[in-house]
Amino acid sequence: MKFINLLKKELSELINAQMVFSLLFSLAIFIIMGNVMQSVTAEISEEASHPKINICDLDNTDFTNAMLDSFITEGSNVKIVSVKNDDYAAPFSGSNMKSYVVIPKGFTDEIKNGKKPEVISVSKIKSASTLSGFTGGTDGTTSLINSYISYELAEQQGVSEDNLKIIEAPLKISEQTVVADKTAKVSSTTILGKISTQNMILPIIVLVLLMLTSQSLIASISNEKIDKTLETLLSTPVTRGSVITAKMLAAAIVALINAGVMMIGFSVYTKGMTSAVTSDLGITETVTKSLSADDAFRQLGLNLSAVDYALVGVQLFLTIMICLAISIILGALVNDSKSAQTMLLPIMMMVMIPWLISVFTDVNTLPTAARLIVYAIPFTHTFTAIPNLMFGNMTEFWIGLGYQFVIFIIVMFFALKLFKSDKILTISLNFGQKSRFKKSRKTTED
Amino acid sequence: MANVLEVKGLSKQYTKVLAVDKISFEIGEGEIFALIGPNGAGKTTTIRMISTLLKPTDGDAIVAGHSVIKAPEKVRECITYLPDEAGAYKQMTGIKYLRFMAGLFTSDIDGINSCVERAKNICGLGDRLNDKIGSYSRGMIRKLLLARAVMTKPKLAILDEPTSGLDVLNAIEIRKMIKKLAEEEGMSFLLSSHNMLEIEFVSDRVGIVSKGHLMVTGRTDELKERYNAPNLEEVFERVVNENEVH
Repeated sequence: MKFINLLKKELSELINAQMVFSLLFSLAIFIIMGNVMQSVTAEISEEASHPKINICDLDNTDFTNAMLDSFITEGSNVKIVSVKNDDYAAPFSGSNMKSYVVIPKGFTDEIKNGKKPEVISVSKIKSASTLSGFTGGTDGTTSLINSYISYELAEQQGVSEDNLKIIEAPLKISEQTVVADKTAKVSSTTILGKISTQNMILPIIVLVLLMLTSQSLIASISNEKIDKTLETLLSTPVTRGSVITAKMLAAAIVALINAGVMMIGFSVYTKGMTSAVTSDLGITETVTKSLSADDAFRQLGLNLSAVDYALVGVQLFLTIMICLAISIILGALVNDSKSAQTMLLPIMMMVMIPWLISVFTDVNTLPTAARLIVYAIPFTHTFTAIPNLMFGNMTEFWIGLGYQFVIFIIVMFFALKLFKSDKILTISLNFGQKSRFKKSRKTTED
Repeated sequence: MANVLEVKGLSKQYTKVLAVDKISFEIGEGEIFALIGPNGAGKTTTIRMISTLLKPTDGDAIVAGHSVIKAPEKVRECITYLPDEAGAYKQMTGIKYLRFMAGLFTSDIDGINSCVERAKNICGLGDRLNDKIGSYSRGMIRKLLLARAVMTKPKLAILDEPTSGLDVLNAIEIRKMIKKLAEEEGMSFLLSSHNMLEIEFVSDRVGIVSKGHLMVTGRTDELKERYNAPNLEEVFERVVNENEVH
């Protein structure tokens, strides 16, 4: 009953209107960004199936007319643009058009004379957005013109369509990817792409989880110290163990709520983002690739089993517990609100370093000294857990889990020792002073 | 009069500083005892040891028959402690705070309700108890905390600088409150202060602490007579000077 009372108080301090507002705000941002991404994807998809061709035919010959007719027949949405006196900006006024292609006078003659004809590609830049470049360019139009001319020339030379395809791409590559002792007929790029898409969410959630957990626990302990409510609390008939357990549990519950909301929001965002980026490869190709990637994943044994997910859960739990134990120690060192913010830095560094390294490279490829340093950071093993399970590196996984357990026991031992001793009230870390661990003058002397 | 508190040779040695050196005194039932002394004399350390927040390096303190070293949990059931310049949880309303604190002393709902009712009557904050503590003035917070400290009817209420930072009217009100609780309900108080006038008005006996030593204890009128001083302030001055001479 007394513990529930303590837990309720901790939760009511952490779950407030501010927290709910910031959660809803973050969720809304993710949803809006996800929707933007999805609308971009839809635009790309529409353009892939019905390419928009904005063209100005200054040559106006039978050849160019036949070419434009063939584009329309094949489903393209052809819009004729008029350009006068080389004024390329004029067609854009009062139009949403982003680009167009000009077929200059003499285009057909150049082809007939066996020369390389020239077209003029005109694009208007309206914003600095990178994604805006995915749609509305002239690449599709010039590609179609290229293909049309190639087929016409091939026909004139008596080359069949099949032979032309061989001339254009004479090499056929059969890609095989090997994981451990299993092989699948798929490109390694496809597998790596799927792995990175699948594994993108978890590290970010871990990151958010650890940041929020440590921030709330450090703030909770330091505020109690600053307001002297901790002294009042510790002089009541409750054990110090139950006070700290209530704080740890409340911080973990709130962090999980935050992480859950972030996970939903991030999933929405990633869905839009992933579709937008992969669509750039071409819709048909993407669909084929993702299907084969699923099959290849199964064939290569990269899919995680229920046991694997349970092991990831255990590792996550240990990670949070380590973070909470470190936060207790850091929170105890704080005597003012400014230091409370600074205290978050060590945890941030310990989480960010292995995360960034795991994003850009394989920790095992680092030089020995750097590898040992990175592996000494307990949170590294959280980021390497899923890859280890996927690729069957079970020894590395168990060593990581064991190491985290040992670190948790050690840190928790010191955290409890600190909380149960006089030091919880007397110790403080005074930044910028000669003696960094200096006991409060009032406490010592009064 | 049975003793509620017996302090026997209590000492606290920090790494380099001996903050409290073999302090001994006792407090009877319904008695208000005040530790007075300059800043850094060892008052707060002594109080924190009796409140089981700090572990003594030597000696012991017996609260209602329980040792602060051997049975700190039992001691915490008999005392309440109000630290100097303590705050309260700003997000909570006054009434929620009282309910939360009462819930740490008893799990019985009736017991909690009766504690809260008592605190409501003592603090006199009325409807403001439904407001968040963050909106309270310093005086209101102190009244709330004092009510919290006495609502559980502890055998010994330990109040560190109970009126520090308060205006004259609020300070007088709190002193009267303490005196009334001791006289009418037989509650014992251990106070700490460096406000001599306040102590002269409110306490039955005083102990003068200087540089970690308890120099002298006695009733204020006895001490005034012994040191031939018109008020406690001068008694204090003479005691501290004597200590420095020796």
